[in-house]
Amino acid sequence: MTTVPAPPVRTRGREAAQALTAELSKLVSLPATWLTAGGALAVNLILTIAFTAAGLRGSTGTKSALDVGLASIGYAQAGFVVLGVLAACSEYTGGQIRTTLTAMPRRALQFTAKQLAVAIVVLPAAAITAASGVMLTAGALGDTATPVTSGHVAGTLSGVTAYLVLTTSISVAVGVLVRQTLAAVVVLLGYLFVAGPLLRDHAAAAKYLPDSAGSAMWFPVAGNSDAVTPAHGALLLTAWTVVLIAVALLGYRRRDM
Amino acid sequence: MRVLAAEASKLVSLPSAWIAMAAGVLVPSVIAAITASSALDAISRGAKTAAGVDTGYQELAFGVVGVIVLGVVGVSSEYFTESAESGGGRQITTSLTAVPSRLRLLLAKMSAIAVVSALLAIVAAAATMGAVRVALGEHAPALGAEDIARLAGVVCYWVYTALLACGVTVLTRHGVVPLALLITNTSVVSVTYLLTKITTLANYLPDMAGVRMFIPKLGGDSVEMSPLTGGLVMTAWVTALLPIAAIAFTRRDA
Repeated sequence: MTTVPAPPVRTRGREAAQALTAELSKLVSLPATWLTAGGALAVNLILTIAFTAAGLRGSTGTKSALDVGLASIGYAQAGFVVLGVLAACSEYTGGQIRTTLTAMPRRALQFTAKQLAVAIVVLPAAAITAASGVMLTAGALGDTATPVTSGHVAGTLSGVTAYLVLTTSISVAVGVLVRQTLAAVVVLLGYLFVAGPLLRDHAAAAKYLPDSAGSAMWFPVAGNSDAVTPAHGALLLTAWTVVLIAVALLGYRRRDM
Repeated sequence: MRVLAAEASKLVSLPSAWIAMAAGVLVPSVIAAITASSALDAISRGAKTAAGVDTGYQELAFGVVGVIVLGVVGVSSEYFTESAESGGGRQITTSLTAVPSRLRLLLAKMSAIAVVSALLAIVAAAATMGAVRVALGEHAPALGAEDIARLAGVVCYWVYTALLACGVTVLTRHGVVPLALLITNTSVVSVTYLLTKITTLANYLPDMAGVRMFIPKLGGDSVEMSPLTGGLVMTAWVTALLPIAAIAFTRRDA
């Protein structure tokens, strides 16, 4: 009688590490990842040049290299939103999701691995995008720029980076829920660029919504005691992200693929 | 005529087209209702004497996001690749088999998009103006003959924007890039508006010029432009883009 060798046992830690490697490999080999990240960087630089030109003429009302250099982030975030949505929805064009879930049957683990992989790719991209804009502006404004402390610069830049990473995480979560690239992009961009700003003007409670709270992390509203502080903004945006990830995870685990 | 009917049938059977239409009506009317009620607050507190003349029109400028989605999705759905299990096909091959003349197909598609956009604009304008009237009551700005011209401008702006969205998507053959660019630019402070701060030439970009058809005075104007000029400038953009799209569509492989 022959004994069947026991199947090799994977520890949970090894399974998680392999899942993360797999998700990273998928994300890095997707041309759209690099195209959107590069596109966001290019668009941001072009807009920064435009804002700096306006700043040199004094029509921006501020001469701070931080404020002028980061003004374009509000538009460049569209690239990060698209990146997050593509990372999630590319699984659903064709049948890749079936292969993915055959290889990684534990959906919570797979989803977490995907979120982590996206964050690993987006973190440097966001930092580079934010820093390059500020450096470009600082260089162009030269001595005319309002001086700022290096601690303030570091704080604001990390705020922007964290904002972009969290927004991308939200986009991944929405992408997993909606499953269709175009629909998810329309929902997110429609909210961020049309509904959000209009609500902000008219409803006081809108400052607690993810876009307003998030932008308070790096663009605090001065001279208003009711305004959300950067720390509170960070907390609020993190809470929104966690809630949306939880909803997406719940839907992802319970729905058919 | 049958081609047009086919294109219209394809367009209105797209779920995303219905979402686009809902957005096109709801975004301007709901926001206009909110704006109008806060204006009513200001009037009853005595802070303001009357609602602005642009109440409703400004919101309709944002509602254009509905026809942007419509124009993009109407074209990009043709190029959406089915999953490998269901053959990996694209609708465009079927469409071109049924209507081999590419120019006719494109004309019919653009006409369908234009007609649906025009209807949507009329419904949205009626809903928005109705919402303003309900919210403001007696304080609502009176509708006169001038408003008929402005509302016609709104319809014109929506149709042109849909055609531009459609033309760009014919060139890109995928919806994400045109959607991202065009929705981003519908923002309250749009990229093109910021560009006007740098160069006055940016006033002649299609959206900045087109808006003049119904909002003649934009804040911080650097260039005076009459509604008619604005309309003509936007017409020029559309007549420049559509032939480029048509040439690309007829000469490229499907």
